Amino acid sequence: MVKWMTKLLVALWWLPLVALAQGQAPATAGSGVRAWNEIKGEKREVLKLQGDVARGEEAFKICQGCHKQGATGSSSGAYPRLAGQHATVLIEQMTDIRSGIRRNPKMAPFADEHVLTTQEIADIARFLQALPIQANLGRGPGNSLDRGKALYEKDCVICHGNKGQGDAEKFFPLVAGQHFKYLLRQAVSIRDGQRGNANPDMAKVLKPYSDGDLEAVADYMSGLAAP
Amino acid sequence: MKSDCGGTCANFQSSPWHTGFLIQTAAVLSFLLSGSVQAADSATAKALVVNLCSACHGLDGNSTDPKFPKLAGRHPEYLVRELKEFVSGARKSDIMTPIAKTLDPDEFKGLGEYFGAQKPGSGVVLDQKMAASGMKLYQDGDEERGVPACSGCHSSTGAGSKRFPRLAGQHKEYLIQQMQDFRSDARSGAGSRLMREVTKRLSDDEIKAVAEYLTGL
Repeated sequence: MVKWMTKLLVALWWLPLVALAQGQAPATAGSGVRAWNEIKGEKREVLKLQGDVARGEEAFKICQGCHKQGATGSSSGAYPRLAGQHATVLIEQMTDIRSGIRRNPKMAPFADEHVLTTQEIADIARFLQALPIQANLGRGPGNSLDRGKALYEKDCVICHGNKGQGDAEKFFPLVAGQHFKYLLRQAVSIRDGQRGNANPDMAKVLKPYSDGDLEAVADYMSGLAAP
Repeated sequence: MKSDCGGTCANFQSSPWHTGFLIQTAAVLSFLLSGSVQAADSATAKALVVNLCSACHGLDGNSTDPKFPKLAGRHPEYLVRELKEFVSGARKSDIMTPIAKTLDPDEFKGLGEYFGAQKPGSGVVLDQKMAASGMKLYQDGDEERGVPACSGCHSSTGAGSKRFPRLAGQHKEYLIQQMQDFRSDARSGAGSRLMREVTKRLSDDEIKAVAEYLTGL
């Protein structure tokens, strides 16, 4: 009996891995079909809605267990700062994580439709955009700022802006003063093709970047003064 | 003239004084009623608590048997939601579903308000070291494993809100049982999606530690 149960357990142990591998496939395939910032599906629905700050504050309680009160995120890089981010960017990321285009098993269960309504996504985005940004909570080591600045001005400034302010209309995120470790983690994941909803143009630009290059750029962005 | 209400009201109809008195009383009553519907609700709620709820949950909502949760100080809206879910079957309970079904849904609000207004008591922490590690998890979560801080939803004092129940001072046995039920998906229902996920990221020891901490709040 015990032997039989052990066998069963060993067999079952593989199941989550299989599910994981299968879950990854459509995410990569999907990104090829759909333009990264195309306005369709739930994203389009949310963008049509009027968000409400007070309701957003209430709904954000679900998020603040990780993103912290005031949406400061964590300097460990585990969670980004969301305060002051463009509502459009937040809406895109929330709906992409919800649909699985951006694969995020840590967050997905907390963003699913049994937890957040379509309206609440609009509310949370509006609330977060209006939150004051606390300055540079997760600066990088600061030892490659010149190299980072040079790379940023060559490759990044065209989309993310000379102050790291991003572009709300084009869904380019505000990156100024974001946690260094978070910026680095995302840059690596976009370069290596791991982030399902990445802008393919950005992935192309980052392709030749070394780890050191990415660290330098993240270092530079984390030190930029948020607007 | 024979009254159609039988012998009991014949006297009232026979006397003009009584008729006047009745009209006056009715007027005063209807005036009073408009302002005292709430008072009537709370009297009904109190009667229900005495007859139906107090045996398990205590008259003041601080149950003594750890099998049954303390309800004192919980947000009325949360209690109403749970009662609705017991009735609909979204939240399964062999004890609560039949009881909730005997209630008129209009009575839920009064019950919620009654228990919400009671003063919540605390439990006893037996293992301070365990409670300290529970506090860390409750207040900060675990970034590495994606465990959110419980305080994010349930508030740093454990007081909860209309969407998330009060946990402070709750029986640790009850808290442990609920967390285990979330983890095994035995507890379902509208609000359970979050907790079913969170508890799957917790070990048995972590569940016990958080419960040990919460009971002392």
